[in-house]
Amino acid sequence: MKALMSLGALIGVAGLLLLGGMVLDVVPSTYIRLVEGYMPIQMLLEVACYVIGFTGLSYTLNAMGMAIPRFWQGIGFWVFFLLYLKYRMYPPIPFSVRAMYGTVSLVAVFMWVSASEEDWQKFKQPIMNVLDAQTGGNRILRYLYLVLLPILIGGFSFNAMMPKSEEPIELRTVHPAPPASTKVHGKTYTLQTSQNPYRVNPEGKYDQEFSNANIVEQGMGRLMKPNANPWDDKNQGYLKYVREGGEIFFQNCHFCHGDNLNGRGLHAFAFNPIPANFTDPGTIAQLQETFIFWRVSKGGIGLPNEGFPWASVMPPWEQHLTVDEIWKVVLFEYWHTGYYPRTWD
Amino acid sequence: MMDSITQKAGLIAATAFGVVLVSSAVYTSVSAQGLPEGFKKGDLSPAPSAEMIEAGKRVYFTKCVWCHGVDGAGDGPGADRLWPRPRNFNQGTFKIRHTASGELPLFDAKKPIAGQNDLFETVTHGLPGSAMPPWEGILSEEQRLQVLSFVTTELVKDRKFTDKQSETQTILQLAELKPKPATDESKKRGAELIVEKKCVECHGMEGRGDGNAFNLKDDWGFSIQPANWHKCWNFRGSRQDPYNVANIFRTFSTGVNGTPMPSFADNTSVDERWDIANFVSSLCERDTLGNPLPIDPLTDKPKINFVIPSDLFEGEIPAEIEHEAWQKAPKRLVAMGGQITHKPRNFVNRIDDIWVRSLYNDKYIVYLLEWDDRTKSIAEGKLPWAPTQVNIDIKEQDPKTGEEGSIAANQNNYAVYNDAIAIETAVKWKELPAPIKPRYLFGTNDQYPMDIVKWEADGSLRAFKGTGWDKDFEERDNYEEAMKLVKSEWKNGRWYVMIQRPVGNKKDQDYDEDTFFEVGQYIPTVFFAWDGHNGDAGRKMAVSAFYYTFMNPPVPQETYIYPVVIAVGVVLLEGWVLTRRANRKKGKTL
Repeated sequence: MKALMSLGALIGVAGLLLLGGMVLDVVPSTYIRLVEGYMPIQMLLEVACYVIGFTGLSYTLNAMGMAIPRFWQGIGFWVFFLLYLKYRMYPPIPFSVRAMYGTVSLVAVFMWVSASEEDWQKFKQPIMNVLDAQTGGNRILRYLYLVLLPILIGGFSFNAMMPKSEEPIELRTVHPAPPASTKVHGKTYTLQTSQNPYRVNPEGKYDQEFSNANIVEQGMGRLMKPNANPWDDKNQGYLKYVREGGEIFFQNCHFCHGDNLNGRGLHAFAFNPIPANFTDPGTIAQLQETFIFWRVSKGGIGLPNEGFPWASVMPPWEQHLTVDEIWKVVLFEYWHTGYYPRTWD
Repeated sequence: MMDSITQKAGLIAATAFGVVLVSSAVYTSVSAQGLPEGFKKGDLSPAPSAEMIEAGKRVYFTKCVWCHGVDGAGDGPGADRLWPRPRNFNQGTFKIRHTASGELPLFDAKKPIAGQNDLFETVTHGLPGSAMPPWEGILSEEQRLQVLSFVTTELVKDRKFTDKQSETQTILQLAELKPKPATDESKKRGAELIVEKKCVECHGMEGRGDGNAFNLKDDWGFSIQPANWHKCWNFRGSRQDPYNVANIFRTFSTGVNGTPMPSFADNTSVDERWDIANFVSSLCERDTLGNPLPIDPLTDKPKINFVIPSDLFEGEIPAEIEHEAWQKAPKRLVAMGGQITHKPRNFVNRIDDIWVRSLYNDKYIVYLLEWDDRTKSIAEGKLPWAPTQVNIDIKEQDPKTGEEGSIAANQNNYAVYNDAIAIETAVKWKELPAPIKPRYLFGTNDQYPMDIVKWEADGSLRAFKGTGWDKDFEERDNYEEAMKLVKSEWKNGRWYVMIQRPVGNKKDQDYDEDTFFEVGQYIPTVFFAWDGHNGDAGRKMAVSAFYYTFMNPPVPQETYIYPVVIAVGVVLLEGWVLTRRANRKKGKTL
């Protein structure tokens, strides 16, 4: 038990040092990578690790006779959580969201310190001591509070009232509801029934299982299957179309969506909203192939009314590409990211 | 073909001659072994294993082949619309190295150590300012070493990384050379040295890369541009650490293979090289306090703030940039990308950012726009289209043309049009509840148009109404008379343009055509820029995303009153709590 707790304490200290480094900008916040798409679950895990570490730390300190009063434990944990949200999370969370988390965690801390009457007494004792000012130290502290509190609160409200020009928070619809059908180059495509004409098996039949077996492997790098190289000259069918789609992608799309389809292309930094990241499980992996076909063909200008703020610079690709080329690019995007398109049923 | 070979040979000869000339004319600081100061002889690395090469092939044909091509000749499907073009590996010419000029870069398939493995670091950190992204986090360390094993053995065809007969390694000992503190004295000496060493002949008097904008070619005959020292985040060798002087020191010591940038190791001492590196680094854009700009790790470019604040100025807004009000006005970086939404698309935008400042008074708002453009471009004679025309006949770059027809080959061969800049603001923005904005590029329609103010290098300042991306502009009645071009100047690779326009009011202006600027409101604003030497005209241009112009309101009186009231309230509250506590202790209750 003791060894276990010491280990916990060690974790706690190491975690605190790491966070301290991030706060002081000695350790970059990307030092421990936040895996794209799994950020929330990773964050929960990390906080859980910290909680275990703190438990161990508190136990060990207790055993060493240097127990931290409940009052400071509560405040310390809350401060830790605020710092964690601000300095660890990347990309940064807006202040409004952090304020919400901060409030929730404050409530949680209060629930913890007031779990039993005894705990609650212990928690409020230091506050009462200062109010009563029985000792010299507490008296000084009380006068300090008397002077500092009004100054601080006044200062904060002054700061809050100063006119500021902060970026307004912009909500946007990420995946607007698709129409029933879309007309591209004079032909109408019903989204529910259309199929990618290039997702075919060697017999030339639409075959999602065949193509799924030939896409890149999941895992670091997302590399192609060793025996499924689209650049093999002998290829016919699916892999040949993947290569043709890739050629179109690298002549048209990579400028924004990036060489690795992660939305970090050459021009990406100039645009807002930033280009879609296809490797993120929240984009094409969640959508049907015909949905992508519709979005690619119509672009930002073809967004439905609810798809505001319409600031997307996504080209309506029907202006630049043929229908066949668009289908091939869509095929390539699924191949390169290793995702299966969702089906309508 | 013959032409390009003779050209190449001539160029190499000229470069060689130049290097010899420079190195013999100036005193040489060569150490005892005959090596330049700061360098040591190194050994060639062992060849990577066959398994590494085979595994690397798989990485290459998943990720790299699309730009670098099947044979590594830099001719993949993406190549012809890129500038700089993707690297042709065949010759074994690599830019960013720790090795002496002309030598192969450091690469060891077993040692992924920073400072000892140039190619690994290039793949890891990418080459900013080009389409080469950082592959860290996408490919594992092992995969990066594998793909490099494949490239260095199978795709580098003219040289061999393991051939002791023909290859040497003279390695810059960067880890052992301590950077010199960037004191004013060191920077001053650096400033003198860049003139003495003739850096300014290519990089320009202010280091904006405008010194020799038309004649520089790389080993393959493509036009290239000297680096702009003010944008260190675009330095190819910046290794995601743009303000680090060691990177500049390294590039300056080793030269950039395949380009006219020579190594200065032979004619400068290590001490002088630190002075130069300190000076060059000091030119990179910084904030008003002189601190490096915060870099966004997602893009490796400076962080963008989408609000352009405008400060109130009582009286006539000054025309001199040196004026205190302009010096104090907040400065914002507006990132620019190529317009690749509608035809003709601009795949290579030579203007990639604009610095914007703004001041306003009761009648006018003034924008001060500064942007780097290596070439001052004014069209000769009359342009073949009217200023209002958007749908003009400019051919877009074909996707696949081969080297001769590529964008890279077209650089400096375009018909020259006017440099230009435009500020586009939403008309009737109040009727569009945030975050809704008019449709991108030139507005939604007649109901939600855009107010476009465009300056061109021929000195014109015009006002248009935009009603859709494919609609020609409409002239606005009399509006041009209400505007004023306060300043327009091109100096050492940078444009300085100051445009004054009315803030708008219902009395004199047209609510349906002009943007009314209101204090304390977010007014959607877009910037467009054209580089005349890039063949930019019409929709072939650089564009920004939607920004907001925000006119800072004067501080209202309440801001000073309420906090005091609140503080007094807190004092009263404190008194109440203390009395209550004291009473309770005495057993009294209130």
